[in-house]
Amino acid sequence: MIRQTVLTPLVNSALYLMIFGISLGEKISMAEGFSYLAFLIPGLVMMGSLNNAYQNTSSSVTNSKFHGELQDLKVVPLSHASIVWALTLGGLTRGAIVGLMNLIMGEVFHYYKFGSLISIEHPILFLVFLIVGSLCFANIGIAVAFWAKTFEQLSAIGNFILVPLMYLGGVFYSIEGLSSIWKMVSKLNPLFYLINGVRFGMLGKSDVEVYFALGVSVVSLFLLVRLSIYCVKNGEYGRF
Amino acid sequence: MEALEVKNVSKTYGDNKAVDDVSFSIREGEMFSLLGPNGSGKTTLISMITNLIPMDAGEIKVFGETVDEKNLEARRNFGLVPQEIINHGFFTVNEILGFVSGYYGLYDNRERIDFLLENLGLTEHRHKLVSQLSGGMKRRLLIAKALVHRPKLILLDEPTAGVDIELRNSMWEFIRRLNKEEKLAVLLTTHYLEEAEELCDRVAIIRKGKLLKTGATKELVSELTLKQVILKLCKEVDLKSDFLTAKKDLEYTFQLPNHMHVGELLNSLQMDNSCIEDIIIREGKLEDAFLNVVSGENYGS
Repeated sequence: MIRQTVLTPLVNSALYLMIFGISLGEKISMAEGFSYLAFLIPGLVMMGSLNNAYQNTSSSVTNSKFHGELQDLKVVPLSHASIVWALTLGGLTRGAIVGLMNLIMGEVFHYYKFGSLISIEHPILFLVFLIVGSLCFANIGIAVAFWAKTFEQLSAIGNFILVPLMYLGGVFYSIEGLSSIWKMVSKLNPLFYLINGVRFGMLGKSDVEVYFALGVSVVSLFLLVRLSIYCVKNGEYGRF
Repeated sequence: MEALEVKNVSKTYGDNKAVDDVSFSIREGEMFSLLGPNGSGKTTLISMITNLIPMDAGEIKVFGETVDEKNLEARRNFGLVPQEIINHGFFTVNEILGFVSGYYGLYDNRERIDFLLENLGLTEHRHKLVSQLSGGMKRRLLIAKALVHRPKLILLDEPTAGVDIELRNSMWEFIRRLNKEEKLAVLLTTHYLEEAEELCDRVAIIRKGKLLKTGATKELVSELTLKQVILKLCKEVDLKSDFLTAKKDLEYTFQLPNHMHVGELLNSLQMDNSCIEDIIIREGKLEDAFLNVVSGENYGS
């Protein structure tokens, strides 16, 4: 199971780092004065965490639906909030492990390319954003999986909503280079704040005021927990 | 205290009244059976008792605790063995029983789990994945899951479907033992009516969502069934009786209501008793009573 949950995402990030960070990255210069590879690493760390926190909760729930065991949760004395937090902490664990593994791998790539490691400027903020982000996406995973009645609905949410938000949230580029309209649109994307928060934690610079980003993230987390409790309460427990 | 109280419970799906104003109760340590043909509302009723689906009207209490979405206490006292076999994807028998214990807040439940594995014949399969188990083993795993938290009431929804006779007997023996040792109350739905007759103190018969009859198993059988009396005679006799149902060679078959004595029958026949070579009496089976009630015949007599 480790192979599927931790190694697969690592292979993904390694490919991104090789293609964008190492080969294309040489042709991209960042305004703030650090390399594109350094810019990319926090984005990939966060993307890995968010993706895997989401995958962990949503696949746990859908697998249970598929095997017909989800209804066990209605028969046993567990409150909706306990169910949500149990799943959420599972998502956080996987999200954090994948995020930190990505960080280590990013550092290895950076060392290989530039002969030095990136020092983490604000380790506490870095961790806080990583944790809040993973908790948010774990909750999105719970909400979507309890709501979904078919596998198709589940993958539609992933492919048409979450992946675009993630890619447009500033993993690969800084919004400084965008026109003012797209800058505004980007700022409506909650992921933008999570990704830039982690980037600030690591590099000390980001596209947005960091405490504002933290505020947006914490409010999002609060709302998402409410949403996932609602979905656990009213969701579909039947077999796929 | 009653183990289970079901009061005026109803559930409607569209136009279909799946459960229609059903009331009954089960005493502590009692074995109770719910009989009914397919689609009569047995599983719907069990799903409402176990919080799986909400009821439209009525109230259900388990050991005095009202079953609803918020009352977690009510759920501590029962265990459910669902009708459909569940295939837990990635986990072994041992892991699953550990997880279920955790759902009830039991961190170290080794002793109970070992006891259940031992008695349900699963000890040697404890490290197998569920997908590697046979149908009968999966069934027994479901029973073990329902019992890890030492419930006082177990709900068995057609638990012996697809289980061979030997296994079925050992399963019942185990349930009976828990009934004695732990005062486990049992609510059973089954199609094997003889099982209900053998196991359960009381029976309720349900048809199209309505409870037709509730009573002590023996009384219900005697009230609803006919006693069969076969007379073997030495020679052809012209017998006139309302109770005569069949005649084959020199064997005359009569169907009597259970309260009627054989003597009354013989008197009414006004024949020479020295000609009777043999009398065979067969007691009515619950099976017959059940069929009578659900087919609407003889009901209310």
